[in-house]
Amino acid sequence: MFAALCLQDFLIIAALRNHAVEGAYPCAVLEAGPASTSREKLSLLSTNPAARIAGIRSGWPLHRALVRCPDLRILSRDPAAEAILRNELFLIAESLAADVELTAPDAVIVDLSGRSSPVTAALDRLTLAGATIHHARALTPDLAHLASRHPATRGKMISPADLAPLPFSVLDLLAAGHPSGKLLESWGLRTLGDFMELPRQAVTERLGPDVGAWHDLVHGKTCRLLRLHRPPESFGQGVDFDDPLVSLDPLVFALKRLLHTLAGRLASRHLAASCLEIRLVLTSGAEWMRRVRLPEPQTAVEGMLSPLQTLIDSLKPAAPIAALRLDVETTFATAAQREWFGRQLPQPERWAETLAKLDALLGHGRVGIPAPGDSFAPDAFVLHPAARATSAAPNSTAHPACPVPLHRFRPPREVAVAHELRNRKPWPLALLTGPHPGEITDRRGPFPISGDWWNPDASWQRLEWDIQLMSHHLLRLVFQTPNRWTLEGIYR
Amino acid sequence: MAASAVEILRQQLRDQFPQAHGLRPNPAPSPLLEKPFSVDSFPIGAISEVLPAGPSAGLALFMAGLLDESESANSLPQLVLIDGADAFDPNSFPGDACSKLVWVRCASALEMLKAADLLVHDGNMPFVLLDSTGVKRQDLNALPAAAWWRMKQAVERTGLRLVVLATSPLVPCASLRVSLSAGLSLADFDRAQAELLPRVHASSNQLRRAT
Repeated sequence: MFAALCLQDFLIIAALRNHAVEGAYPCAVLEAGPASTSREKLSLLSTNPAARIAGIRSGWPLHRALVRCPDLRILSRDPAAEAILRNELFLIAESLAADVELTAPDAVIVDLSGRSSPVTAALDRLTLAGATIHHARALTPDLAHLASRHPATRGKMISPADLAPLPFSVLDLLAAGHPSGKLLESWGLRTLGDFMELPRQAVTERLGPDVGAWHDLVHGKTCRLLRLHRPPESFGQGVDFDDPLVSLDPLVFALKRLLHTLAGRLASRHLAASCLEIRLVLTSGAEWMRRVRLPEPQTAVEGMLSPLQTLIDSLKPAAPIAALRLDVETTFATAAQREWFGRQLPQPERWAETLAKLDALLGHGRVGIPAPGDSFAPDAFVLHPAARATSAAPNSTAHPACPVPLHRFRPPREVAVAHELRNRKPWPLALLTGPHPGEITDRRGPFPISGDWWNPDASWQRLEWDIQLMSHHLLRLVFQTPNRWTLEGIYR
Repeated sequence: MAASAVEILRQQLRDQFPQAHGLRPNPAPSPLLEKPFSVDSFPIGAISEVLPAGPSAGLALFMAGLLDESESANSLPQLVLIDGADAFDPNSFPGDACSKLVWVRCASALEMLKAADLLVHDGNMPFVLLDSTGVKRQDLNALPAAAWWRMKQAVERTGLRLVVLATSPLVPCASLRVSLSAGLSLADFDRAQAELLPRVHASSNQLRRAT
């Protein structure tokens, strides 16, 4: 047996949650149309009871509604409030049974087949702040859903015969936008009973298998499986310390306790941790956060603690620690399939620890898989995390302009250059200072490069040369206005 | 005159103590490495050293060749580059070559040595390339020689290949010392990299040590 729960006037209920005072007046939610469309021509999506008493119906254009009721309050949709309301409805349904389907934004279907106790009283007691929950029960989920949409069949257990008096428009739930729905109405069908009396074979031959499926549905011949909704589960945990921590040992103990809880929860769900996020809240209000991506899914406390402990050991917080937060990204423990011909890390847990140690030694963001940047700016590159190398770096076969790789000076070294002007551009003759002073015997360039010209504050332009010195050193020399010469690197 | 006196003295010593001189072979020319860009050219579980023979000897081309030759289409990088002077330029390499290495950006000689120590003891990466060419000579000289010997023992234990790029001999316990020469000039910049790679000559010098 299935029960369908639905909220009539879902949109207006959600929109009025933040405008409680307005609820006593006629209110309506207006559709969001294109900017070019006049507001008065837009349709009302939903109305509250006060508006209905004033004679206004959903689907009316705004100008017609305003003629009928000049005091009509117009609200726009509130997606955040709708999501909260939908979640509340889901939680109510989940209190009845574990298997719940989010059938529509304003309706859910619950599978009651596993429930032994009677549910009629429980369904009647369901309440939601500011809204009325309508329900209906049936042997198939779609029958229950159809029944919950009409006042005549709400609140009881219905059979296919009970649907016969309902208006044919109830079938719009299934046939919205389907051309056969309009066609059937044009045939003179007024109630679902009229549709049920049609011979299935003949209707299917004339209008297609979709209409045959509707026919089976209203006769209760098909009982589909529910598309169960499982809300995303959070494994986030936290500890607020009564006395802020001034040493790191108690922090490790607290972290270990959280990891034990986490490992138990992961094991009960047959999951593993792929990435850990640790966040420390300091008494000064500042936060310290690091994400540790594990090279292989981990479920053991030791495997997760080791890289975190390495990070914590290298930590020098500027203020006492007031709170600890730990979150995790999960994956299936067997998600990393072994490749027969591909190399695997011999000790992946050790690799994560080594990366954490390197992070502590060199600073954050100093270790990774490099990739050329997507701009022509000098020294533009990106560094992908090295912990999980799979598809970390986008492969590109584009070859660089110069066949000899550059040994780059970071930062570029300023030099004094003897030069002359040729065609109103500087022409280097010799390096006077720097690591390789000497006469320039050969040069390629100048190569004018510029970027960010659309941004006056960030625009840049430069002239580049590849130069050869008397000492046979090959260097990259850069000139920037007004008179700045730098050595960008050396070709070794 | 002095040179001939030395030769006479050597001859006399050779006659007096023939057993002390008989085992010493004549110095042979250093053999060329057949595949300088193959990781297999470097011994497993040992430290190798690559030195340039001139100002533009093709050290960077050597690195490009290594990345070009190493296995592709693998989900994991095969090579770690410990960049002592933070001088690696990703824009000088194709994207698929960059994806074959893990870049460790160091700011000093000490950081470089510590990072190398961590990675050698880790043992997950089979090939570690330590680039010390941009580090000041005085900083490199300040590194204790014992650190290299400890690293040699760690490399032997983990069985990886550690190749040190240096401008002059740096590692006292290197098992193999390779000298690179290419004689690049600006005229070569108009050629394709594939044409330049064969010009890099690598002559090896197998070193024997007491330990």
